[in-house]
Amino acid sequence: MNSAYIASVINSTLRSTTPILLAALGCAMCSRVGVFNVALEAQMLIACFTSIAVNYFTSNVLLSVLAGVLSGAVVGAVVAILQVKYKAADMVVGTALNLLVGAITTFLLYLVFGLRGKLVDNRLVSLGKINLPVIKDIPFLGRVLENLTIIDYLSYIIAIVLFVYLFKTVAGFRTLSVGINKSAAESLGTKATRIQMEMVTLSGALCGLGGVVLSMGQVTMFTENMTSGRGFIAMAASSLGMAHPLLVIASSLFFGLCQGIGLALQNVVKAQLTNTLPYIATIVALVIFSKRNSSAKLKK
Amino acid sequence: MKTKETQDAVWKAVILRGRQALRQPLVATIFGLLVGAAVILACGQNPIEVYKEMFEKSFFKPYYLFSTLTRATPIIICAMATGMSWRAGYINLGVEGQMVTGTLVATVTALFLPGPPVLVAIIAWLAGMAAGALYALLPSVLAWKFNVSMVITTLMLNYVANYITSYFVTYPLKDTSGDGLALQTPEIAAGMRLPRLSSTSTFNAGFIVAILVVVFMVFITRRTVFGYESKMGGFNPSFARYGGTKQVKVMLITMALTGAIASMAGSAEVFGLKYRYADSMLSSTSYAWTGLQAALIAGLDPVGMFFVSIFLSGLQIGGSAIQRSLGIPLEIATIIQCCITLFVSVKVVIRFVKKPKAVKEGGKQA
Repeated sequence: MNSAYIASVINSTLRSTTPILLAALGCAMCSRVGVFNVALEAQMLIACFTSIAVNYFTSNVLLSVLAGVLSGAVVGAVVAILQVKYKAADMVVGTALNLLVGAITTFLLYLVFGLRGKLVDNRLVSLGKINLPVIKDIPFLGRVLENLTIIDYLSYIIAIVLFVYLFKTVAGFRTLSVGINKSAAESLGTKATRIQMEMVTLSGALCGLGGVVLSMGQVTMFTENMTSGRGFIAMAASSLGMAHPLLVIASSLFFGLCQGIGLALQNVVKAQLTNTLPYIATIVALVIFSKRNSSAKLKK
Repeated sequence: MKTKETQDAVWKAVILRGRQALRQPLVATIFGLLVGAAVILACGQNPIEVYKEMFEKSFFKPYYLFSTLTRATPIIICAMATGMSWRAGYINLGVEGQMVTGTLVATVTALFLPGPPVLVAIIAWLAGMAAGALYALLPSVLAWKFNVSMVITTLMLNYVANYITSYFVTYPLKDTSGDGLALQTPEIAAGMRLPRLSSTSTFNAGFIVAILVVVFMVFITRRTVFGYESKMGGFNPSFARYGGTKQVKVMLITMALTGAIASMAGSAEVFGLKYRYADSMLSSTSYAWTGLQAALIAGLDPVGMFFVSIFLSGLQIGGSAIQRSLGIPLEIATIIQCCITLFVSVKVVIRFVKKPKAVKEGGKQA
């Protein structure tokens, strides 16, 4: 176990963290306004597909990222309309949307590209990789931060921005008040329903960005159901981080580490077994932190 | 005379209740099919023609009807499993994992346990049910002891079960006869298989098992104290506690039954149709998720779930028929069924939110 190996595990941890972190931040914003959003998976998956599809036709990275974020926000808006405006049951909407987006992406993959399973193509452009000028020459740190994308860095900045917004601004206090007591917030003139819908849409956009990293970061391709439960892992991350943006960074890094270790172990143990690691780790983490977690636990 | 009047009143109430229960899913189904029609139009096809072919090749021709019923078998059982836990208020998304685990155990038992075939088959089914029940008890115990969200744990356990069974089928249990390329176990002995009910198709006695499970569900939900307690727990936990229901006991029994039922879905598939366990045969067909949607569309009513399951499986059979003939991807079926579920979810609100404004808006939206 030499330092180069450790550095590469940390590197892959950072890469695996980003999608989970972004989705977990989205989930945290939803739980801060008292909405239980189960459709994170759908919001990510649609962005994976849209960004790759736009990428295929335009070969423009910026456009693909925007399209991905937008598509995530659209699914978020659907959740907002159904759950906040029409008060539909959260579990029903979430599960149905997760399945619906899975079907839509597979449907379009076949209809537009005539493909089943996955889309890989030479003309797909991946996100630009950043190698910071001085740091890349530092032995250990250089390897740790090697080939990260701009979104990998951006996700931490977003977390800090959300923290500042929630806990240091008036608008943030209003947002928090909606989650604590909606009718009290309304009686003070806060547009509670509107704030809730905005936050759910924002969570869609954040998940969308996470989806984009997934399909255009480490690999540049779309595979059916490629999010494979990350939306739910993000939900666990948000719950462990008590929906606090900075704590969510820590919990997301933990799940990223599990995926990183899982990938590293694949040379030793059969892939089918290492693949279970992030999922088992999620359950174990939820159990270990259950006591502390019980005050801010998910609604169900 | 008086008894007759009461009887009439009872019948009226039953019919009224039936009508109300049916209206939501029916309206939602129509809207779901309309969304499907829009998608078909967008594909440049005539929706009426496509739907005609779709329903002809799922319900109206005997061969396809048998395919529909065969496919419906695991879906019905999964819907019952989902209904069992959701009725009691336990949001169990792990029917797939419970089914997969139970089925693998049942298959292994059938393959390796010596003895008279029929007896071994019965033991195999029971072993599978036990394994499914244990797999469902795991998240329940975590929820009980550690207050861990069952939504997340049950879903995570799906992936764990799928990967681990995939490992077993790929390595230790793999059928090495023939070319040995397919990731599947050897076939189970002929004497253990469920009999076919039709000479021309794969329709088999698994469907009878499914009907028995439905009957069991109807019985347990309408005729037993346990069914009442379980439902009360989901309907109003504090009332249930007040009434003296032992919640933990009810939860554990409910979830164990859920897992046991879920395993039967996969066992019916192995013993009735495939005669072996093949990698991802239960997950790629998304039986559990279709069952979940059937349960939601039918509002968790056992008889309703039975018919909705058959309808959804018909959509899927019809969907694969039109994919072959018209080139419209078969996911059209999933899209339609998800839209139906979403419309049902919005409809449910309208009944509960009594504000006139909400009714008007909801009506427009739906």
